[in-house]
Amino acid sequence: MVNNKIEVKNFNCYYNHDHILKSLNINIIQNEILTIIGPANSGKTTFLKALNRMNDLNITYSYKGEIFLDKNSIFSMNMEKLRQRIGILFAIPLPLPMSIYENIVYAPKCLKIVNKKQDQDILVERSLKNAFLWNEVKDRLNLSAMKISGGQQQRLCIARTLAMNPEVILFDEPCSGLDHISTEKIETLMTELKYKYTILLVTNNVKQASRVGDKTAFFLNGELIEINQTDKFFISPKNKQTENYITGRYIIS
Amino acid sequence: MYYFGKNMRKILYIIIESIIFFCGILSIIFVILIFGFLFKESFVFLKNYNIVKFLFGRFWYPTLETALFGILPFICGSVLVSVGACIIAVPIGIMTALFISEVASKNIRNILKSLIELMAAIPSIVIGFIGMATIVPIVKNVFSIPTGLTAFTGSLMLAFMAIPTIVTISEDAIHSVPWQYREGALALGATKWQMMKIVILKIAMPGIMGAIMLGIGRVVGETMAVIMITGNAAHIPTSIFDPVRTLTATIATEMGETVKGGIHYKSLFAIGFVLFIITFIVNFIADIFLKKNKNL
Amino acid sequence: MIKLNSKFSQKIPFFFLYAATILTIIPVITIIFVIIKNGLSAINWEFLTSMPRDGMRAGGIFPAILGTFFIILLTIIFVFPIGICAAIYLNEYAKNNLLTRVINLAIINLAGIPSVVYGLFGLGVFVIFFKLGVSVVSGALTLSIMELPVVITTTRSALNSVPYSFREASLSLGISRWLTIRHIVLPNAVPGILTGSILSIARISGETAPVLFTASALYVSYLPHSMFDQVMILPYHLYVISTQVPNVRKDMIYATAFVLLILVLGISCIAIVARIYFKRRKKW
Repeated sequence: MVNNKIEVKNFNCYYNHDHILKSLNINIIQNEILTIIGPANSGKTTFLKALNRMNDLNITYSYKGEIFLDKNSIFSMNMEKLRQRIGILFAIPLPLPMSIYENIVYAPKCLKIVNKKQDQDILVERSLKNAFLWNEVKDRLNLSAMKISGGQQQRLCIARTLAMNPEVILFDEPCSGLDHISTEKIETLMTELKYKYTILLVTNNVKQASRVGDKTAFFLNGELIEINQTDKFFISPKNKQTENYITGRYIIS
Repeated sequence: MYYFGKNMRKILYIIIESIIFFCGILSIIFVILIFGFLFKESFVFLKNYNIVKFLFGRFWYPTLETALFGILPFICGSVLVSVGACIIAVPIGIMTALFISEVASKNIRNILKSLIELMAAIPSIVIGFIGMATIVPIVKNVFSIPTGLTAFTGSLMLAFMAIPTIVTISEDAIHSVPWQYREGALALGATKWQMMKIVILKIAMPGIMGAIMLGIGRVVGETMAVIMITGNAAHIPTSIFDPVRTLTATIATEMGETVKGGIHYKSLFAIGFVLFIITFIVNFIADIFLKKNKNL
Repeated sequence: MIKLNSKFSQKIPFFFLYAATILTIIPVITIIFVIIKNGLSAINWEFLTSMPRDGMRAGGIFPAILGTFFIILLTIIFVFPIGICAAIYLNEYAKNNLLTRVINLAIINLAGIPSVVYGLFGLGVFVIFFKLGVSVVSGALTLSIMELPVVITTTRSALNSVPYSFREASLSLGISRWLTIRHIVLPNAVPGILTGSILSIARISGETAPVLFTASALYVSYLPHSMFDQVMILPYHLYVISTQVPNVRKDMIYATAFVLLILVLGISCIAIVARIYFKRRKKW
């Protein structure tokens, strides 16, 4: 049974008067990884941030069209609720200036989801284990999150998102600043996470898309050029532009 | 507690955000209140007294039978003292700012900045007192004039009070000149001084102008120090070594003796209104300069 | 030859820069030195803790010290909550629209109004219109309005220095704007807000003109016991004994100036030290 988690219908958005995304129609299926590739400025990140309405923070942003999460329009939902259901990881790890432990319990504590110290402990351990970080930091949970390595910070941010138990997780080039060992860890992590969550991954790294994606989409200048099962996408791309891009012959016109 | 907790919290957050918004617009309310209040009192006064005679009258005899409310002497006094203070404070202030930003080492820079911060904190009354006790007799003896309480003495002390403002804000402007400009100029073979003179001063000019305007604003509005050291003579000064009285000093010295609600009392509010307008213009210009500097 | 010339011609302007800096510094040090030298001898326990006698020619300055503290305290209570809230609004909520521009203009204007004009306003509005009389509360309200733009500006720059990414991280987790401010922005802005606030307290304590007609009295024979009392305050007391009362002992005037100066500079020094301390401990 294929279940559409997110449906994007004829979605357009703008910064000032720049038309960033042009009539997008995409279905995102539950418990799959959709990777989005494309050159810089093709609207990948804007698309990702449109899904949990992080774009709305920018006052020059405006949109047209509809996006549904489980058949409900995200624009009629409470914005905080939406972001709790759709978590996001940024290109640069953004730990909060507090300890590892506090980073994870921060949001649940703010929303009074967990109150007791015991529950917090359990939550921290579970989230860090799910993010493959527990063994590295279990003895120094009170260390400032600003003092661990970039790869660890990014996994901490994943753990922090997992602690909110979202339904969808958006990854915006999560490995762009990391070495290959950290990258590998995060890739393995994503393939594990898809059994519980629906995942969108934006990446500049075509190989990464082929490694982790169930489906792959190619964006160019704000338009969706092609979307297909990852193996078919890379073996026999239907579109010439897609083929040029994945074989590295892409030329900015 | 838990059952109604969630809704209660939501209402609480809405209340908090409303309070924050209200505090945000409170500044506007205060400005309107101050403006309206000064305007109201001055309006009553100007209904009874010709505005031209008020602004350009040469005599201030508020307690006479046919009272005269000409504030030209005070305007002259304020202008004279302020111009004098600027002539002293502007070059010293800008050069000090250049020194702190471009020449001094990091430690010296920090020490100097802290010292200037302390300088800004010294109450005007203390500066007035020190001026009265030390500078006034010196001025009297050096220039052999009958009294040391002159516009010149006032300018000296006010310059001292304007310098911290000028230094702090010009230093910010100079410091915010991007380092590429410095390197570029030096790479072209300019000496450090040429680089400062041609590149930095030019780029930081809007910020420096803003600093000067804010300094002028501070000088024009200064009260306690000028009361104590300018001599408070209500006549049009003929030289910088004459005793003068400023607009601010008139308000501060005479308010205590007026009948509340009388015409003399109202006339002081009219002076306050004039001051309000002057400082508004000065600060507005300063802000335009400083915004230009920000858009660098 | 050319090189020598430019090197030499560079010496003169640099000499002027040094000279200007020294000219700036010397008066500060001189003022502090003169006041300490002449005032220290008259400072003793009795001077600090007793009432003035003989028409303020003898005795102490206790009521003036107490009055100053009283006014500072009340002003802090009035101005900081309002100023901090206003800064939060401007930095975190305000959009780039006409209202915000008008608020900014109002703040610039408030910051520029001469202190004596605030005194007039306080006299007309608080003392006479609201019938609060010449009292601590009138003076504190007047000082609060005067200090408001300073508090807003310093708090705003403290809030502004908290990286935007912290807000982004918190908002992306589904935390509302207010809770983000409450749990992320404010705690990280506390050092800046604190140092700015302490500096503005120093400024408040030395102000004379705004409280001249709103709170201060030439001489009060009793200590203030409510906020509707007139009080003696240090800066005005210094003004009175140095200009209005004849034949006051020189060292007593200097001692009063000394106490005022120590109060103001002491508070400023606390702010400066706090800033250095927070800078060292900065987490980001």
